Amino acid sequence: MPRTAILLIAVVALVSGASGARAHHVLGRPAYALNEDSNTPPAMQVETWVGNYDFNYMVFPAFPRPGEPGRINLYVRRIDGGAAFDGKVTFTVQDDSWLNWLGLGAKEETLGVQAPDDVVFRQGFVFKNAGDYLITARFEADGEPYIIDFPLRIGARSPLGPLGAVLGLLGLTLIGVNLLQRRRAMSGQIRSSHEKS
Amino acid sequence: MVAMSHPGLPALWGLASLMLMLFIALRAVALPRATVHSTPHLALAGLPLVGPMMRHITRHPGFLFVLKLVFVALFVLIIAAGLYGTPLPARNVATVLTWNLWWAGLVVSVFFVGSAWCAVCPWNTLAGWLARHRLWRRADTHAGLNLRLPAGWRNVMPALALFIILTWLELGIGVTLDPFATALLALLMLFLATVFAAVFEGGAFCQYFCPVGRSIGFYAQLAPVELRPVEPDICARCTTLECFAGSAEVDPCPTHLVMGRLKQNTYCLSCGNCARSCPHENVAWRLRSPASEAMQDSRPHWDEAWFMIGLLALTGFHGLTMLPAWDTTIKAIARAIGDGRQMLVTFSLALGATLLLAMALYTASIRLSARLGGIRTAMGAHFNRFAFVALPLAFAYHLAHNLGHLLREGAGLGKLLANPFGIGTLPLGMAEKQARMMHMVISQNALFTLQAGLLIAGFLIAALIARRRLDLAASPNIVQLRGQLLPVLLFALAVSLFHLWLLMQPMSMRM
Repeated sequence: MPRTAILLIAVVALVSGASGARAHHVLGRPAYALNEDSNTPPAMQVETWVGNYDFNYMVFPAFPRPGEPGRINLYVRRIDGGAAFDGKVTFTVQDDSWLNWLGLGAKEETLGVQAPDDVVFRQGFVFKNAGDYLITARFEADGEPYIIDFPLRIGARSPLGPLGAVLGLLGLTLIGVNLLQRRRAMSGQIRSSHEKS
Repeated sequence: MVAMSHPGLPALWGLASLMLMLFIALRAVALPRATVHSTPHLALAGLPLVGPMMRHITRHPGFLFVLKLVFVALFVLIIAAGLYGTPLPARNVATVLTWNLWWAGLVVSVFFVGSAWCAVCPWNTLAGWLARHRLWRRADTHAGLNLRLPAGWRNVMPALALFIILTWLELGIGVTLDPFATALLALLMLFLATVFAAVFEGGAFCQYFCPVGRSIGFYAQLAPVELRPVEPDICARCTTLECFAGSAEVDPCPTHLVMGRLKQNTYCLSCGNCARSCPHENVAWRLRSPASEAMQDSRPHWDEAWFMIGLLALTGFHGLTMLPAWDTTIKAIARAIGDGRQMLVTFSLALGATLLLAMALYTASIRLSARLGGIRTAMGAHFNRFAFVALPLAFAYHLAHNLGHLLREGAGLGKLLANPFGIGTLPLGMAEKQARMMHMVISQNALFTLQAGLLIAGFLIAALIARRRLDLAASPNIVQLRGQLLPVLLFALAVSLFHLWLLMQPMSMRM
């Protein structure tokens, strides 16, 4: 089979693989909003869609801290017609860390099962520890399971990780280059002294 | 979420621009054949007030060193604010300085000072300090491995690939809206620049890999300034070539340029090593016609031709993604192909399609030009020769687009600098966004005039380049010459009209 055909099939598979309500989704980019006309505090908001539904996920306050109560508001509407989903949604949480990606993180815990309250699924939370978490909303509609992940940051990010990684890598590279260069210089000196003798 | 948008050019402005472009196209076809001639220059060192200052700046490294320190300090501030400051992009100096001011202002700076940014670039400065163990004098020759870059890498295709990745990160992943990711991206670039400085000789990263430096380098072909010999005869007689090899105190040219043979700004980093090391003091800054280099002096190469077409596609794509209609369109496509998540598959497909479309359109116009002009051999040379046409089109639109961002979103900087980390701040509300939009440095009509004027000037220079390149190629007769010219002019006109249409649409604010 020609290479281009294989490539084409791979692209189609990639595209079609991203479809379907069963897919495990990390929602889109977070944005921060403030409405001066209402008493609502600033919120972190993410919009996306999966399968037949549009999702609007909001976190109050925008920057929740450890030990501070917060709230998730989730709006689920059908793409065709905009009808609100009226079933129940289960909210679970797990660590969103490198350890979890490797299957070594803490287990998933259930936050609650919520029915719609005026078309909004409201889920409260309090986290003891700062960190990156993954909130998962699960429900079943049209005979298909929906599993949607979205991010939640509690407390400030630790900047030491990435900064340390970059500086560490830089340091290692520079030391490595320095050692190699010294070795080259020494070999050159030995070679020239051999040639002289 | 409702995004605020800036108004586009009014229809009347669009119509007037279109008429002028059509007139320019007709005029370009009707022009008589021109011959090669030397373009006039004005030595900055010879000017009454500016001259002594320019001579001092060119000969002494102190001023440049102070500028480097300022930009390194700003770079450190951006990293610190990105890592430790608020995640609100409009309240953090990391995102505002990087994307609203530097990224938008960089292209505007090329219009006045060419590739001067490369001379003060903090990535290169820090990489040099870290890898070569010198602050300003000639680097220790034993500090790095000084390997020669493999021959296959010595072209600008890596820079084009990195520019595509940067666009993907900027607009697809949304790095522009995340101070933390902005700081990480800056650190990643520093890492790459330092590794290259430690392993390879000269400025290999700047010359072949840096997407920012290469874009500036290509645009600098259209800059009104250049660093060139004062007396070409002195260079012709020179046997020591300090400009290339450096002196006891000054580093060699990081991009291996020889001043006596320098014809184009593309790879000049404006570092001034040549001017400081020349024992005859024969290198100086001078003013010139912005179009002269791309019209006749630059030599076409295959990789540079692809880079210029890529640059044209990516600038148009940037504009496309900032239309309010973009979100609805990409969402509709994503739904049609079943792409959830961040719609990254759809975004990547759109980016790829834009690049392919620009390349296919250009290739088709070149094939048609060759057919109408009776060219059957040297298609590659024909392809490379006309790619310079893409440069003023990309530059003009990039300038016009970025001017809109700079002038409409530059307000509130004082407040931001007073609290660069954005501690205790709230997200931008609609009222504040509205207030920022209303506080423009110049009037809206002045901005429209500048934007339309830039697009017309870009098309004019593109038409002149196409015409002059043909005249230089010495086509056998005027009918064949016009046959070659017409498809290239149509390509330039189609791209300019697309850019005009983009500018006539409302444009979303960056943050």
